[in-house]
Amino acid sequence: MLKSWKLKEVVLVSVLSVVFAVVYLLFVHIGNLWAGLIGPIAYEWIFGIWFIVSIIAAYIIRKPGAAFISEVMAATIEMLIGNAIGPRIILVGIVQGLGAEAVFAMTGYRRYELWVLMLAGFGSAVTSFVYTYFMSGFAMLEPGYVATMFGLRTVSGMVIAGIGGKLLSDLLLKTGALRGYAISRSGHVHG
Amino acid sequence: MSLHDMNPTIKFATFTLIMFGLALFYNPWTPLIIIVGTLMIQLMATDVSWKKWSLFTIPFLITALGTFWTTLVFGKDLGGETWVSILGQSISKQEFAVAVSLSMRVLAFTVLSLLFMLTTDSKRFVMSLMQQARLSPTIAYSALVGFRFLPLMQQELHQLQYAHRLRGVPLNTRWERIRHVPKLLLPLLAGSIRRAERIAFSMEARGFTGGKRTVYERIDIKPTDYVWSCVFFLLFGLSIWAGI
Repeated sequence: MLKSWKLKEVVLVSVLSVVFAVVYLLFVHIGNLWAGLIGPIAYEWIFGIWFIVSIIAAYIIRKPGAAFISEVMAATIEMLIGNAIGPRIILVGIVQGLGAEAVFAMTGYRRYELWVLMLAGFGSAVTSFVYTYFMSGFAMLEPGYVATMFGLRTVSGMVIAGIGGKLLSDLLLKTGALRGYAISRSGHVHG
Repeated sequence: MSLHDMNPTIKFATFTLIMFGLALFYNPWTPLIIIVGTLMIQLMATDVSWKKWSLFTIPFLITALGTFWTTLVFGKDLGGETWVSILGQSISKQEFAVAVSLSMRVLAFTVLSLLFMLTTDSKRFVMSLMQQARLSPTIAYSALVGFRFLPLMQQELHQLQYAHRLRGVPLNTRWERIRHVPKLLLPLLAGSIRRAERIAFSMEARGFTGGKRTVYERIDIKPTDYVWSCVFFLLFGLSIWAGI
């Protein structure tokens, strides 16, 4: 998978992972505070935040594995800098990364329009929900409540990760820091 | 035979398997035994700071509480005789047991995770993944580069804050600084990306390739690693037995 990658692309992914690991950790704490009050549903509407690095990395580098590797790396670094969810977070990263990666793979890693990015956010939401369903014992909750959680998570994945990830990457592109990566060769530079 | 010396990859695999196993049980006893057992191991075989441990645990106590009442209120109707009734909801003994179990599970996960986190050195973990789990050296070293970036980023964040303050952004109180952080994300990212490119070039200039390599710090698997692994699986076995 890494054969076609340049070293600077791998390092870029790891740097993005570090920045978003910090962001992810902040949102874990925000989610935790909420969760005490309104239960696990507190995480659902902000869940898209935790998929965003996949979308940004894939959109910038446009190579197989970018979505998956960035998410797993972000999860690992999050654990190393102090997420008490611990080693389990790496599995979460693997599961979420696979969801987005699958969508990019289905387009043959050729298309990076907004709808593909939103679909990738949707993909992460689906795979991560399956994981949470199992690990948190959602089978013991009312199906209607579980469905609401699922709906919130997919919308969040599409909006925060899909649209948010594209906006942020396009802004970064404008700063000129991404010259030399696939995104700047894509031809449709906005603004 | 401190837990700090256990091979990180084996430790990771052991803990992860147990956590997956825990997800299969819906009785309160299984997670409870895991919590008690893990804490006993932590007490006897590590020198973890309990103060640090408590600080990390607090947020998860809140989560456990949230899980507890969500399961009570939005839990599946499992039937059975009404035991107590809260807010017009009748709750049977079985439903109460499930709620206790799920919130205990949150705590069991937390206790195991913290034990891993507080007894594992980050660099050794990545190096062990590379040597035992065949993690690609390119990824391993890039991840370590990223990890070493953290203090640099903090520095850069302060620099950006000073720069913005010079231009007249009010950043005097703590709250004003916190609220301004999202606006610093973009320049911080742009700067980090530029630095990443330079670091990649200098790694290549020093002859870094992703190919076969020798390592300075070898991390082996020792017999005691298997002993530790067995201790944890025995604990898990005991907890399953207690749940029946």
